Amino acid sequence: MADQNFKSEPNRIQYLNEQKAQGRYLLGVFPALYPREILWALNILPVEIWDPPGTAVLANKHLQPYICPIVRNGLELILRGETDIVDGFLFPHTCDSLQNLASIVNDHLELNKPVFSFYHPKMPYTAATQKFYRAQLEILINQLTSIFSPIDTDRLTECLRLSHEIGRQLNKIFKLQRTNQLSFSNSEYYPILRQGEFLWPEDYLKLLNEITAGETIPSKPDTAIVLSGILPNPVEILSLLDKLNVKVAADDLLNNQRRFYLPQSKFSNPLDALTEAYLKRPPCSTIGTPISERLNHLIKLAIGSKAKGVVFLIPKFCEPELFDLPQLKQGLQKAGISSLVIETELNCGLTGQLTTRLEAFIEMLGN
Amino acid sequence: MAEKYYAGIDVGSHSTEAVIIDDNKQQLSFSIIDTGLDGNAAAENALNLALAKIGINRENLNGIVATGYGRANVTNAGKQVTEITCHATGAHHIFPQAGTVIDMGGQDSKVIHIDENGQLVDFVMNDKCAAGTGRFLEVMAKRLGSDLDQFGNLALLSEQAVPISNTCTVFAESEVVSLLAKNHPRDQIIRGLHQAIVDRIWAQSQTVGIHGAVIMTGGVALNQGVIQLLEDKLKCELLVPPQPQIVGALGAALIAHRNFR
Ligand SMILES: Nc1ncnc2c1ncn2[C@@H]1O[C@H](COP(=O)(O)OP(=O)(O)OP(=O)(O)O)[C@@H](O)[C@H]1O
Ligand code: SF4
Ligand SMILES: [Mg+2]
Repeated sequence: MADQNFKSEPNRIQYLNEQKAQGRYLLGVFPALYPREILWALNILPVEIWDPPGTAVLANKHLQPYICPIVRNGLELILRGETDIVDGFLFPHTCDSLQNLASIVNDHLELNKPVFSFYHPKMPYTAATQKFYRAQLEILINQLTSIFSPIDTDRLTECLRLSHEIGRQLNKIFKLQRTNQLSFSNSEYYPILRQGEFLWPEDYLKLLNEITAGETIPSKPDTAIVLSGILPNPVEILSLLDKLNVKVAADDLLNNQRRFYLPQSKFSNPLDALTEAYLKRPPCSTIGTPISERLNHLIKLAIGSKAKGVVFLIPKFCEPELFDLPQLKQGLQKAGISSLVIETELNCGLTGQLTTRLEAFIEMLGN
Repeated sequence: MAEKYYAGIDVGSHSTEAVIIDDNKQQLSFSIIDTGLDGNAAAENALNLALAKIGINRENLNGIVATGYGRANVTNAGKQVTEITCHATGAHHIFPQAGTVIDMGGQDSKVIHIDENGQLVDFVMNDKCAAGTGRFLEVMAKRLGSDLDQFGNLALLSEQAVPISNTCTVFAESEVVSLLAKNHPRDQIIRGLHQAIVDRIWAQSQTVGIHGAVIMTGGVALNQGVIQLLEDKLKCELLVPPQPQIVGALGAALIAHRNFR
């Protein structure tokens, strides 16, 4: 492998402080879909908030017990004062829970920080969708520029190119991983990719380039699976898969490949290019893709990666995902693909039951 | 040539079982003890007990497979396999016509769909808490002053059940206390508790579906109240092995036979 350094994650707080010292703004961004290229072009570093460590205590004052842990832990992080470093928050319109969190943060916490919402359209798309999305991009730009720096069109074009390059490298890595040409275990692979949640694009691209430039060492897993759901947590699941010699050969996680898209490298208008890229996103419960489309996508992923089964990792109470799951499971089974649903907290470690379910599923695939 | 033997040990949250089989997969001996606090010690003790019953030494064992929630800590096992696979294997061995296995133990309940070869097709298992498992029945039996082995029969004394809305062990206990305070008949409360457990396992079974003959394993299969109410709810007969608690250990012994011959 090339330089082993990328395996050790930079200290996040130190990195963010350095970014600030360079004159960058930081925006705390909640999941999941947002036009990061626009933020970059405005000299804003998006710092994504998915699975902050720790257990929620303070957040319970504002939230009912049946709210997903992404929302709960995110609010806890804010209430503990651990987001003081960011200059504002961005809430994409992902689900009702995040929408409500946006209002709690905006209306009740008196943080004295701007709170932005990004309304992206849901399916079914109509003739007006394209226009609507483009208008949302403009609204977001206007809101951000009124508070932060003005937009530099050349830099925006450059940021789309960076985004394209990041997408191209990620694609390459996904392919190497799928074809067992990378020696990364599951527990190494995800933390590396997830650094994109807080690295400046040039830094992230450098990291990805290092990975793809390194020599490839083939791995020989016993079993390949597709990982779907929201994010690869609890992280101990990845080590358990490693121990069982199971490889995540393809991924449909909201926080990873489901957000993945490749904007064109040549375009005449950056906002049109971003709009086009949005409309071509992979199927996702949070944009209301018809279940049949998502099912076909999953089946294709499984067949293309020679995966024997699909594991869904779902944060507890995640409505968008949970509503689709019974039909997805049934459809997969009809297509001869077994699946397992794990509904879980984000930072809970492995319970005996969780271990048994995952191990039994792998035993089942091995038959 | 000396006879070959195989052992399976199931270290459950409630009890630990060992089963010894011979080269022809004939069950020769078994033991059942409480797991207690030290799973590995329980595994040792259960195995020694089962061996002593037929006067066989440890050296005569060709292989040991451990299963159950404490499987990872059984130091002398050659292989660890989940109790889901083991219950499926054991149930298929006893009832080759099995298509569905319902295992209700102390802290887990599982519904397992198996094919004609006893291989897993699909399964569901309860989440973290002990709602709707054997532990729930233990706590309620104690609360209502009944022996565990009589508790199920008491549920069948009354035709009527007081509905229990909580299967969470903690909440159900306080619900029972307030029902007793309101002078609801004890038998009807007991039937209501059994009904609540049955409704829960029934709902679980619907996610994998009921296929072929239905086998019930695990300690809760000793509870006649659960068996009868579940038969009513599923509208089919449940096949219960003579010792439902040792099915997982039997499956483990059969897997040892397959792996260590
Ligand atoms: N004689 C009996 N009559 C009725 N029920 C019984 C009897 N003995 C045990 N049980 C029930 O069986 C349960 C234990 O079942 P079992 O021994 O299969 O559990 P386990 O395998 O140790 O647990 P798990 O599989 O959840 O880890 C007890 O909680 C109790 O409800
Ligand atoms: S996990 Fe589900 S419910 Fe929670 S924020 Fe994400 S989409 Fe919304
Ligand atoms: Mg058991």
